[in-house]
Amino acid sequence: MPKLTIDNREVEVPEGATVLVAARKLGIDIPALCYRDGCDVSTSCLACVVQIGEERRMVPSCATIAMDGMRVESETPLVHDARRSALELLLSDHLGDCLAPCQSGCPAGMDIPAMLRQIAAGQWRQVIRTVKREIAMPAVFGRICPAPCEKVCHRGGVDRAVSICLLKRFVADRDLRATPSYAPTCHPASGRRVAILGGGPCGLSAAYYLAQFGHRCVVFEADVIAGGRLLRDTTEEQLPRKILAAEVESIARLGVELRMGIAINSRKEFERLPKEYDAVLVATGAGGINQASDWGLPVGSRGLQIVGRTYQTCLPRVFAAGNAIRGHGLAIRSAADGKEVAAVIDQFLRDMPVAGGPEPFSTRMGRLQECEAATFASGTSIADRREPSDLLMGYAAEEAVEQAERCLGCDCRGLQNCLLRRYAIQYNASPRRYKAERRVYARDTSHREVIYEPGKCIACGLCIQIASAAGEPIGMTFVGRGFEVRVAVPLSGSMAEALTKAAADCVAACPTAALAWKVRGDDAGR
Amino acid sequence: MVEPDLAFVDEAVARIGREREAVLPLLQAIQDHYRYVPQEAIARVCELTAIAAADIVGVATFYDQFRHRPVGRHIIRVCHGTACHVKGADVVQAAFERHLRIADGDDTDPEGEFTVQKVACLGCCTLAPVVQIGDRTYGHLSPSSVGDVLKDFLQQQKAGTKEQRRPETAVAEASHGEIRVGLGSCCIAQGSGQVYRAIEATLAESGASATLKRVGCVGMCHQTPMVQLRSAGKSEEKIFAKVNAESAGEIVLDYFRPRGLWKQLRYKASRWLDRLLTDEWHDTMVRHSLEVRDGPVCEFLGPQQHLATEYGGQLDPLDLEEYLRHDGFRALQRCLASMRPEQIIEEIHHSGLRGRGGAGYPTGLKWAKVRAASGGKKYVVCNGDEGDPGAFMDRMLLESFPYRIIEGMAIAARAVGAEEGFFYIRAEYPLAVERVNEALRKAREHGFLGERILGTEFGFELTIKQGAGAFVCGEETALLASIEGRRGMPRLRPPYPAEQGLWGRPTAVNNVETYTLVPWIVTHGAEAFRRTGRPDNAGTKVFALAGKVRRGGLIEVPMGVTLRQIVEQIGGGVADAPCRGMGTSGGPRRLKAIQIGGPSGGCIPAGLVDIPVDYDCLAEAGAIMGSGGLVVLDDRDCMVDIARYFLQFTQNQSCGKCTLCRIGTRRMLEMLERICGGHGEKKDLDDLEKLARTVQAGSICGLGRTAPNPVLSTLRHFREEYEAHIAGHCPAGKCKALISYRVTAECIGCTLCAQHCPVDAITATPYIVHRIDRAKCTRCDTCRQVCPRGAIVVESTGTVA
Repeated sequence: MPKLTIDNREVEVPEGATVLVAARKLGIDIPALCYRDGCDVSTSCLACVVQIGEERRMVPSCATIAMDGMRVESETPLVHDARRSALELLLSDHLGDCLAPCQSGCPAGMDIPAMLRQIAAGQWRQVIRTVKREIAMPAVFGRICPAPCEKVCHRGGVDRAVSICLLKRFVADRDLRATPSYAPTCHPASGRRVAILGGGPCGLSAAYYLAQFGHRCVVFEADVIAGGRLLRDTTEEQLPRKILAAEVESIARLGVELRMGIAINSRKEFERLPKEYDAVLVATGAGGINQASDWGLPVGSRGLQIVGRTYQTCLPRVFAAGNAIRGHGLAIRSAADGKEVAAVIDQFLRDMPVAGGPEPFSTRMGRLQECEAATFASGTSIADRREPSDLLMGYAAEEAVEQAERCLGCDCRGLQNCLLRRYAIQYNASPRRYKAERRVYARDTSHREVIYEPGKCIACGLCIQIASAAGEPIGMTFVGRGFEVRVAVPLSGSMAEALTKAAADCVAACPTAALAWKVRGDDAGR
Repeated sequence: MVEPDLAFVDEAVARIGREREAVLPLLQAIQDHYRYVPQEAIARVCELTAIAAADIVGVATFYDQFRHRPVGRHIIRVCHGTACHVKGADVVQAAFERHLRIADGDDTDPEGEFTVQKVACLGCCTLAPVVQIGDRTYGHLSPSSVGDVLKDFLQQQKAGTKEQRRPETAVAEASHGEIRVGLGSCCIAQGSGQVYRAIEATLAESGASATLKRVGCVGMCHQTPMVQLRSAGKSEEKIFAKVNAESAGEIVLDYFRPRGLWKQLRYKASRWLDRLLTDEWHDTMVRHSLEVRDGPVCEFLGPQQHLATEYGGQLDPLDLEEYLRHDGFRALQRCLASMRPEQIIEEIHHSGLRGRGGAGYPTGLKWAKVRAASGGKKYVVCNGDEGDPGAFMDRMLLESFPYRIIEGMAIAARAVGAEEGFFYIRAEYPLAVERVNEALRKAREHGFLGERILGTEFGFELTIKQGAGAFVCGEETALLASIEGRRGMPRLRPPYPAEQGLWGRPTAVNNVETYTLVPWIVTHGAEAFRRTGRPDNAGTKVFALAGKVRRGGLIEVPMGVTLRQIVEQIGGGVADAPCRGMGTSGGPRRLKAIQIGGPSGGCIPAGLVDIPVDYDCLAEAGAIMGSGGLVVLDDRDCMVDIARYFLQFTQNQSCGKCTLCRIGTRRMLEMLERICGGHGEKKDLDDLEKLARTVQAGSICGLGRTAPNPVLSTLRHFREEYEAHIAGHCPAGKCKALISYRVTAECIGCTLCAQHCPVDAITATPYIVHRIDRAKCTRCDTCRQVCPRGAIVVESTGTVA
């Protein structure tokens, strides 16, 4: 039995076992995308490389036989670089959106496809949770958001974008009318207190999420009504004040203290806050920048200066977000800031490293060509985009269902299981590292249960092996060579013919979501 | 489309076989028959055999040879080998496409007459740029000669003259001497076949008594067609170079007088009449005679030493008797009669022979491993999948010395304990396949192959497997997969083929040249071989010398000669720019670099020409010995373009298995294309270098690991050229996006350029200096080539055009 060391840890494996097996025995997580127990090694992805001894060469651990006395390095910067390069190369040729473009386009990053699917399925209890997980005041933004999400909606390339904003308003209004309306579960009280200066979109949003983290929030607002620029920049017609009041109330119900008509004016008053509170958030909007500057907060070209993505100012315990740092930005951007700074302040209050939320990882397809949009739309609802029949009331439930069904479902079905995504995040691999020409989107939906998107295939060949071993009469094969190589059904056949019995095994083996179940898992858990 | 008649498929399956290994030959037969591979034919093969559709389709789409839609009646193969590339293959291809009105993205003309195909290398590098139409080869093309070439081809088709591939040796009784005509592929492409037939006809007509003999490659490709004459009983010979069919008869008659006075007179009179009538008068003797003792031939041969190419240009490649007269199969006999296999291996090991395929692994060690490997059946394989653009050594050896290679393989088989072996020869070498086939037949007939060879217990059988157009199959594990009838995908080594090769059995895979050297070593002794060359780099190496050099050809030099000796002495130095128009010289050019080792190798700058040529020194300079392609580059060659060219090649030839090679080389190519296109950024150079090193360190096989070499070596030696491109200049004036054409005041207004411009970018203005419309100009270089005054200049624009 050969005995070897991996990262200076000794391990003994049976004769003929690979380095990968040895590493797994030690609990070392080597990213092996194309490897599967029971299948022939294909040494394709090269994400599993390791270094043997002093050799400059990198070898795939999945195909390197463990030898007695071998010294293997798995976690050196050089090895990580090589793995990252392999992952970045795979990503550069990965045609698909992890997150749907609407979600990437939403400043708050709302999981719009999940919302639309839940509306279509009438899952009312789940859908409000999906919406409010990212947007504290959806009834407000359902009315005033300029909807950047709809501008990038792939359905727009087919006919017109899905009416995402109106559907969000529908979900929110429906909840406001319900009794009891949705209330998020809050963590037990932490005993920490946060002072929030400004009761606009940023401050209110921050309070909503900080309260859920269990922190006690006090919002100081100079005006007598909460809302900040939501009040100043909109008319009653655009945003009925009672809707705003209702959503502010839903925030207050989480135990947030709103001190209206209280302005922090002097530097002295401001400087007292960090002593009384565990954290202070400056969310006083664009109009508060000058004043904050007087308090000693440095100002940059747009607004108050913060450190990286952490929303921390140079003063201890003092954070800033929203238009106070941006000068001008959409209200929804400020609301998103509020949510993000809440997470940061929470990290700070729990004595964790303050890192800010990571940029959500997503590969991006960009704009679709006309033919691609048609491919995408095939088999989806042909309904037109329609405004609510009663403009004041918004969509009726059946209208909402019909409109939600127009969604093309551009988000990836494999978000939970995709090894490429998982390791790309782990190795900090960027999908945009290499400028690359992209392929034309295609897919095969002929199979009853399985969808095949060749643009997401990393050419590992596992499905080919599995189909062949299962005795599929037609099966799958590699077609072409080199960069043009694709996994396809031989003789121009379809997936319906190719996978008559091995579909489930192939989907389970696929390291990305090139082969995936058509019907998605439950969105509620996402 | 009409359903193809599938009866042929049934017949082919019955003839060729039903096993997995039969897939490639079956597909080749189908392609030959239908001119493409119809899906229906594949489906029929599946019905008739146990081979899965997935397997056949996988193979059929892997190899370039197989086409999946009908092609034109004639295929124009435009060579894009290195030598052709630097001499303008891309503008030649564009000219064909324009001339035939082939639509963008298509490859066949609207009439379905011609299909234009880009091929990696036709191995006629000294004739660059070269195309092959049907079975005719045309060399030294330019965009303006494309029309004439097509006309000539169609005329020949009509006349029904087919290039004869195998003229038989004509033996005259009571011969007064010998006439040798070199008939390698490149000689034939230059018209040696016609010369041969003309001499044959002259001999028959005139009754001159001489033996006409077809011989293998002479090596002096720059002088072909070449005729060597030798009188009986004399050792001195006379060489005539660049002979054409018309002058060949003259030369022969002048040397060998016809018998009988009357016959002589009658013949002379008729020839004299011919001349009067046709107004042809060739001062053949003055123009073509080359002296062997001094002058260019002597220099060309000077530092050469012929081991692998022993008796080159003297032997009829297929004359077994003659081979035997020159000690043929003596080495095998010695091995069988008086050496134990271990002794053979020891002898080879002691000789210091290293693999001539490029990597230089000691051959003796490899054989010892195969011999020591357990498991009954073993194989020997000859790697003749020479795919490097710019290399044609193996083709020449296979065409010229088939018996010597067979002998070498038999000795290897004896040494390692194999009884079966395979030639793997690329499909682009039909003449090599034909000759080896014939040689195998004759060797078998005379008991040098088969059972009980030379009356001993030793038996050995050899078969040819043909490649199908996949460079990666030159990688040994891919080659073995291909022989097994699978996609030519390399696999990670170890295990090496010496332990697990063909069908999992221990297999000795060696290059053509390596086997060619084996009989010499056994005959002359390891010590003699060792004495040639340098320590650790014993023996000689065959190179294909081409590019911007005066005398290109096939050369064999002892290891350790310097690149300077090769380029200046053998090659006669850098060639002048090609003549423009009527007789004006393009002026002297300067050596810039030597590309050595093809797509796996690198560029050695002019400043390093004094390094000795051996495995280790070349590696140190950033190149590799490789299989032996040696392309000379001058100051008109852009090094970034060269790097891009090679990367395009390897990228296109990647098998697609591993990420680094499949996508990595593609991304590198895209970066280089941006740089050549004037869209490069400063950081691209660092990114390119980093990615190149990653691909080099991590790819699965030799192709991927060496693909970055041309990029890394040019980055190392010519970084300033890359930087110039990023600044918007192509110093060599090669990268189309960065140059423009301008007419100087030298213009006499002859309108030739306007007449030849394929895109009407020049308006004809007689007697007035012409102007080029830069918006229309495609930078095809035609105008510059036809201008009789050298009045058209290429300028670096400094901005992206």
